[in-house]
Formats: sequence, structure tokens, C-alpha cells
Amino acid sequence: MSELLVVENLQKYFPVTRGLILQHEVGQVKAVDGVSFTLQAGETLGVVGESGCGKSTMARCIARLLEPTGGRIVFDGRDITHLGRSEMRPIRRDMMMVFQDPYASLNARMRVGSIVAEPLEVHGIGTDKDRKRRVQELLEIVGLNPEHYNRFPHEFSGGQRQRIGIARALAVNPKLIICDEPVSALDVSVQAQILNLLKDLQQDFDLTYIFIAHDLNVVRHVSDRVLVMYLGKPVEVGSKQDLYSEPKHPYTGALLSAVPIADPTLGRARKQIVLSGDVPSPLNPPAACRFHPRCPRFVDGTCNVEEPLLRPVAGAADHEYACHFPLERWPMDEEEFRRVPSLAGRAE
Amino acid sequence: MALLDVRDLQTRFRTDDGVVQAVSGVSFSLDRGQTLGVVGESGSGKSVTFLTVMGLVDRRHAQVSGSVLFDGQEILGASDARLQKIRGKRIGMIFQDPMTSLNPVKRIGWQLEEAVLLHNDVTRAEARRRAIEILKEVEIPRAEARVDDYPHQFSGGMRQRVMIAMALINNPEVLIADEPTTALDVTTQAQILRLIRTLQAEHEMAVVMITHDLGVIAEVADDVLVMYAGRIVEQARVVDLFERPEMPYTWGLLGSLPRLNLTSDRLEQIPGQPPSLLRPPRGCAFHPRCAYAFERCREELPELQPAPEGEGHLFRCHLKEEDRARIWAGKRAALSTESAA
Repeated sequence: MSELLVVENLQKYFPVTRGLILQHEVGQVKAVDGVSFTLQAGETLGVVGESGCGKSTMARCIARLLEPTGGRIVFDGRDITHLGRSEMRPIRRDMMMVFQDPYASLNARMRVGSIVAEPLEVHGIGTDKDRKRRVQELLEIVGLNPEHYNRFPHEFSGGQRQRIGIARALAVNPKLIICDEPVSALDVSVQAQILNLLKDLQQDFDLTYIFIAHDLNVVRHVSDRVLVMYLGKPVEVGSKQDLYSEPKHPYTGALLSAVPIADPTLGRARKQIVLSGDVPSPLNPPAACRFHPRCPRFVDGTCNVEEPLLRPVAGAADHEYACHFPLERWPMDEEEFRRVPSLAGRAE
Repeated sequence: MALLDVRDLQTRFRTDDGVVQAVSGVSFSLDRGQTLGVVGESGSGKSVTFLTVMGLVDRRHAQVSGSVLFDGQEILGASDARLQKIRGKRIGMIFQDPMTSLNPVKRIGWQLEEAVLLHNDVTRAEARRRAIEILKEVEIPRAEARVDDYPHQFSGGMRQRVMIAMALINNPEVLIADEPTTALDVTTQAQILRLIRTLQAEHEMAVVMITHDLGVIAEVADDVLVMYAGRIVEQARVVDLFERPEMPYTWGLLGSLPRLNLTSDRLEQIPGQPPSLLRPPRGCAFHPRCAYAFERCREELPELQPAPEGEGHLFRCHLKEEDRARIWAGKRAALSTESAA
């Protein structure tokens, strides 16, 4: 297995300016602030986190739709962090994106055939006839009727439009597909179709995925490894088994606890861990551990003073978390969750 | 007597492309303090049903029939004047996207006061006092200061709390929540659901929770209506719905859920998509997507019939009882491959 993507300490800061004529920078939104991970070919990395955590910004940096402020992105052995447009062009064949909004991500004035053929045209692949044939092939692969080649997006349902987006992403045989919340806007029954489709395509075409979602159930279903982000920082990363059965970071625990369980008896029997407050603004992130104002395990003098760095779980080098007082076990009820063992017993 | 009693509700929209039968004969009742879950996908009619109940469908384009008894009084087709006394006062409603439901150019204090002044003969000062009080109740920090903020100055979760505040400020007997947490993060959703439950207990309110999320239904509902193509296709106590669902659409919904406690590779998928209500299928509206459909399903709409188990458990399906039991037993076994974490 080779490393398809290596992301090192990725940073993306957006300047906040004031003034109409002479703009000066008054602050920065640190949308992504130090994310690192490695992605093996054929793997699916799930990225989960709530509003403002930076997951979409990170995806756009990797796809080089944005230029990173700091850090490195190495794709297929090549450092693409600061490549210019023309240098990026051939690389874009290997890295495609599927977006969340099936209504906004397709050009409403283009026929579906043209939409799916566009990447082929941009990269100068094939003749008109070849492209048409390829598009029809792709439409069939994603479960659409190839005869609908000449229809417009508005003639399709949300789920079908998402399939069109996927067909477009597949057109040039990419190595990596970044899916940014691809099923969030879809009905549950349609969501299942798209998730199954993505899994099938991964097998059939040797694809590697970065799958961004806020729904933990969905992420678990598709991912091999999962990265949890909070306010621009990675808080936990590991295999899906590790993360879902033995989360270490309190935020991961709170996320897992917040997911409604589709079982009335089980769901109501457990005591949920409910966080207080809202996610703070990335313009003014809290000092040290960014999660500390909402963390039920907050220890004054440590969590708001010293920033926790990612460290591996003992005996599991590929499971890392960034917390001074990680969860000792899982599941936990709210009372245990709030109780932090003595400082002498800090996990290392 | 039920607080809200709906009988054979029908809503038809006249459009340029033809008549859309959005709601086809929906009947249910809601008791004081009860939480009714309404689950369905796009085009199921779940939202239009309650917009119709509240008299919020445009009568120039819609034909409405049936009966809606609120506290014993017929309100379907009532005058706007009569409905204004009920909407916002005795029945509160919250919608999915708080940013489009709140007036972006008015301070939230003003919007809350408006809700009070419309229904109560009090001074503006008193209305403001109540606004601050309700903002505190929905856990908005520094309510006295934030009451003069604009909607865009709040985060998504906070805006939804403001909407809830507006719906509750006059102490309604019923809260209709249409996808209140769909646009919110999962931890915020947990907070909002918990808040609704707390307020429900304190105000002794009935709640209608409209959602496509079966997890939310499992958490909050006492009884559930499953809607498809404008009809109720199954209704039951919540435990019965999840334990002994009686028809293929409900099986499909339950099977399509990715769950934390299962590791099956493929999700059960319902092929196709919800039907167009312009040209609904003949017979059972679900039959084109149903793996078990047979001749009768294509010809004849199944009536709501009682299920073998469960109080008030009704469903629509032509399959024989022994077939349904067998099929569900098989699916259920597949769904329980792993026990919950």
C-alpha cells in the first residue's frame, strides 16, 4: 500500500480586514490550524466535525481550490502545496471533488451530458464521439439512464443530481475523490443508495476517498480511518474501530453521545452527554485547548494554559488524540465523564 | 377529548402542470402532553399536512377538505381572524431554517414583542419583559443584552432557540416543530431536543415533531405517523414501530439507516425515489419501489388496517400477515448482527 496523500501541519488563515480604502488586517480566521494525516491508496478517511471546524476549508486546500497559508501537501509523491495553475492542471485529473449541494454544484444551464463531459474536455481527453460514449458509460455506472444525456439538471431529483456529480468526478479516472458532505442534503432512502454506490465504485475503480460529513453514522459506514476536527484543529484520529469503541477525546465522546439512536428503548435508557454553549467563532478561538470552555472535564490551570498536542494511545501508534485528560473508557455516563482522574494519573 | 383531531384531511394544489394531491385523507389525533412524531421523506406530505392544519396554505391555489377540530372547535376553513387567535397563541410553530423564518432586519426583541402584542393586551414594556424572560428560558446567555441583537448576530443553534422562544412566548398548548434540528450540528441538536423536552414538561405542551430522522423520532416521540406520498402508511406507538413495523416502506426506512451499532457492508436501499404527486402511481403509491409488490398492489390502494400487535397500530399493505411476519423476522435478524455499543 502506498501513501497517496500526505498532509503535514496544514494551515489556512483568512485575513480579516478593516477599512474601505486602505484595508489593514485586524485579525485572522484560523480556519485550519495544523492538520496532519496520511492517506493510503484505496483507503477512506472520514473527516467529521461541526460547523466552523474547518473540514471543508481543509478539503479545498487539499484540492488546491485554495492556497494553504502553511504546511505541506504531498499528493502521489509530489509537493503540490504552492503549485501554480498550469502545474496543477494535470494533477487535477487525479483529484476530483463531489460537493454537498446537488442543486448548486451542477450548472443549471448545461445539459447533463456536457456537465459530465466537461472534465474530459478540459483535459483534452478523447474526441467528441469518444467523450459522448464515455459519458453514457458513466451515467450507466452511476445508475442513471444514458438516454438522459440531453436533459437539464432541474429535470432530475436530488439523489440523481448527486449521481451526476459523481459521474463527473469519475470521468477522468481519478485516484482520489474528495466528497464534501455528499449525502447530507438527501432523503434517508436515497442516502443509502448513494453510500452503497460510492462503496461499489471504490472497489470497481480502485478509488481513495476523503469523506467529509457531520453525521457520525454515515462516516462510520464508509470510513476506514476517521479524523475528528474542532475549530481548525485535529482532536482525534484513528481507525474507525478505535474511534467508535474507544474514543479518547471528550469531544469525540460528546459527538458519539449526541447521535440519536434509532431504537426507542436503547436510546432513552442511556444518559446523553450534552455539551453546553455553542461552538465559538474561529475568529477568536479559546486559548490553549480550543475545546476547554465547553468541556465537561475542564481542569483550570491546565486546559486553558497548555495546548494539548496530538499524542498516540499507548500500544496503538495510529490512534492519536489531543487532550490532557483523555477518556479512560467508553461508554461513560455523564457523571463519569465529568470526573477527571488525579493529575498524577495522567495518561501518556 | 383530544386536543387536536384531524379527520380525512385532503389538500390539493392547482399548478400549471396539473393537480398535485399533496395530502390524501390523513386522520390522527393529538392529546395534551403527547409527543407525536411524523416521519417521511420529500413529497410525503408531512409539512403540508400541518401547514393545512394551521390554515397556512394559500386558498387561492389550494383546495382543502376534511375536518380539523382544535379543542372541540372546527378550524379548517375558519376565517383569518379566528385563526389568528389560535396561531401563535394556542398553537406555536417552528420551522427548519431559522434564518429564513426570522425577519433579518428587525431586532429579535422586536419580533418577540410583536408575538406578545398581537395576542395580548399589554404594554410594550411588559412585552419586552416577557421577551427577556423567554430568552432566558431557552438558555440564551446574557438575554438582557442579546434581546436587542439582530438574527444574523446569532449562531444557527441560537437562532433556533430564538424561534422556539417566539413559538412559546404565549404559552401554547401545542408546538408543531417542522424539522427543527435538521440544519443544526449534532451536539446542538442534542441541546435543542433536550430543551424542547424540558419546556414541554414545564408548559404541559403537546409536541408534533416532523422529521425525516428516525433517530430523533426514537428519542422523543410517543406515537409515530409514517407518511408516504400524501398518506399515512403506518402509525404506531414508537416502540411498536421499531419492534414490529408492518409494511415494506417502514422496513426500508429502518434498513437504510447507517447505525453506530452495526457493521454490515451494504445498507438496505429502497430503489428509485418518492413518486411525483402530479401523476401518482395507481394502487399502492409505494408499489413501484417495493420488492414484494404483486398484482393487487398495482391495482388497489390498501386501506389502513389494524396490526396484529400494538395499540393503535395501523398500516397499509396487501401482503398477508404470515408473509409480513416472515419477511420482517428475516430483516430484523440481519439488522441485529451486532449488539449496541
